[in-house]
Amino acid sequence: MNKTKSPEILTRALFREREARKQAEKILEDKSMELYRLTQELKKANAKLKKQVDQKNSELKGVFQNLVDAYVLMDVFGNVIEMNSAAVELFGYDISIESLNVMNLIYKEDYEYAITSFRKLITDGIFSDYQARVYTKKKGVRTVHINASIIFDQKNKPIAAQGIVRDITEELRGKEVFEEQKKQLSVIVENSSLGIVLSQYKKIIQTNKAFQNLIGYSKEELEQKEVIDISVRDEYESSSAFFEKLHRGIIDDFSINRRFVKKDGSKFWAKTSIAAVRTADGVLRYQVALVEDITEQLEAEKQNKELLLSLEKSNQELKDYAHIVSHDLKSPLRSINALVNWIKEDYNKELEGTGLDNIALIENTLEKMENLISGILNYSSAGNKNNLDTQKLNLNEIITDITDTIFIPKHVTVSIKNKLPYIYGDRTRIQQLFQNIISNAVNYIDKEEGKVDIDYQDKDSYYVFSIKDNGVGIKKEYHEKIFKIFQSLSDNKNSTGIGLSIVKKILDLYEGDIWLESKSGVGTTFYISLKK
Amino acid sequence: MKTLSVLLIEDDMIETMKFNRVLNSLELKHKVTEATNGEEALKILKDKNRIPDLILLDLNMPKMNGKELLKILKDDPVLRYIPAIILSTSNNHQDIKECYEIGVAGYIMKPLKYEEYTQKIKNLLSYWSVSELIKG
Repeated sequence: MNKTKSPEILTRALFREREARKQAEKILEDKSMELYRLTQELKKANAKLKKQVDQKNSELKGVFQNLVDAYVLMDVFGNVIEMNSAAVELFGYDISIESLNVMNLIYKEDYEYAITSFRKLITDGIFSDYQARVYTKKKGVRTVHINASIIFDQKNKPIAAQGIVRDITEELRGKEVFEEQKKQLSVIVENSSLGIVLSQYKKIIQTNKAFQNLIGYSKEELEQKEVIDISVRDEYESSSAFFEKLHRGIIDDFSINRRFVKKDGSKFWAKTSIAAVRTADGVLRYQVALVEDITEQLEAEKQNKELLLSLEKSNQELKDYAHIVSHDLKSPLRSINALVNWIKEDYNKELEGTGLDNIALIENTLEKMENLISGILNYSSAGNKNNLDTQKLNLNEIITDITDTIFIPKHVTVSIKNKLPYIYGDRTRIQQLFQNIISNAVNYIDKEEGKVDIDYQDKDSYYVFSIKDNGVGIKKEYHEKIFKIFQSLSDNKNSTGIGLSIVKKILDLYEGDIWLESKSGVGTTFYISLKK
Repeated sequence: MKTLSVLLIEDDMIETMKFNRVLNSLELKHKVTEATNGEEALKILKDKNRIPDLILLDLNMPKMNGKELLKILKDDPVLRYIPAIILSTSNNHQDIKECYEIGVAGYIMKPLKYEEYTQKIKNLLSYWSVSELIKG
């Protein structure tokens, strides 16, 4: 029966075979479809990736171009491959036109340092904080700061170097200026003869040498202290009102005389000026105190005061002395005068003509002596500012008083030309002033008819008074001399040589002046200027 | 004109002589008691039976000066009524003012010339001899 397999079996086998092929074809078709789809997707992904890379590249390019700092890319021989715009701006070269090797940019004095740094870059692959000078095309020598690194290929072979370059010339210059100013300031502060203290909330922050020397503490010791530690407690509290005002912005500075306590416990007086240092919005940040040791000054002031007192005392003593001496000197003169008079009375008959003449001479001499003593007394008190009784004075009255007091011979007329003004002064002094000049004028008249004319001129802030006589006149060479004490031009018993020196002294007191015009034999005019 | 009892307080002998000579030459019968300083004067004034009508005193005297003596007199309930007249060489305004403040009855400058002195003393004594006085 095997040979005679039934056709049904064969048909079934054929059918199975057909089915299998169909299946295989379908799988094949599906796979190829999948492959196609994958290929398509891959294509898409590739395109996307390329786009992304391009984008990144351009982004990077933008970053480099827009980098504030200069960016330089070069090959291992130093030939510049790429520069960003900042680099072009800095160095001034355009590598699309001219080739550039960085070695040519190195400032000659910095060459060695540059080479060393470059070698280090090659070996380490990175080099930071390179700082040196470079030549630029347009800006001369500039100081630059560079951070550099090496770019390696896949086989770890260096192929290029890139560097970020920053021009720090201005920065350095600014820093230098700042440092210089800081140095100058600190020179001032350190060499100041004034002590300087910077404090913050009662705490000492900084002090200068002068203050350290004054107080006896070192800088470090002071920085550990508060202001109260070097203050006298009472004074510290009494000055707190000022600090309060300073804090509240009512005042910006104040000055007080206060004491400081030294390291050794002793104290010194100091003139202390405190100023507020505020923030922009007015908050008190620091207080700066300038401290000046015034111990010596106070001591000197004290001495001056004592000196002044003793001077006043000795002035007073001198005045008293002049007073007493002149009176003591006058007493014997009075006695002699009395005794001589008694001789004259008692022995009138016995005395011959010459005897009486001699007695008259003694009396004359006594009178002159008394005038001299009175003059000295007046002179010593004329310049005394302490007993000035300043009041409004009617000069016309004063002149009348004078002409009533002094002896005026019948042939002499004293007249006031224009009504004299009122002036301010001490009555006694002003009378002495005019009396001395008028009596001089009267005394030295040698004409048959004597004239003494008193007049004045108004000169805005002062008056000029004139006393004009038709007397003997004063020679030019004596015009200065007559104002000096004891310089009398005659041996007249009334002429002591003190009168005009008293005049001068009184005028000094009132800041006035005196001068004269004179013609020998014709007369003299004295001018007196007095403030209104 | 009544006769005055005068206490003259003066340390200068010649001044005292001058005063007495004036009285003699003018034939004035006033009674003069002399003291050469303040202490002596006070001693004399203690005797209440011999209280003078008039006191003439010098300002510049040794020991107690004129002003000090004056103050003592003006503090005394009895002596304060005796007119006291200063005889002085000082025309210092301050001195004169001070004396009047203490309460003097007069202030006379001693002149250089004897004739002037005579005149002043004569006038002084004639004035006080016509004045009514409080007798202690």
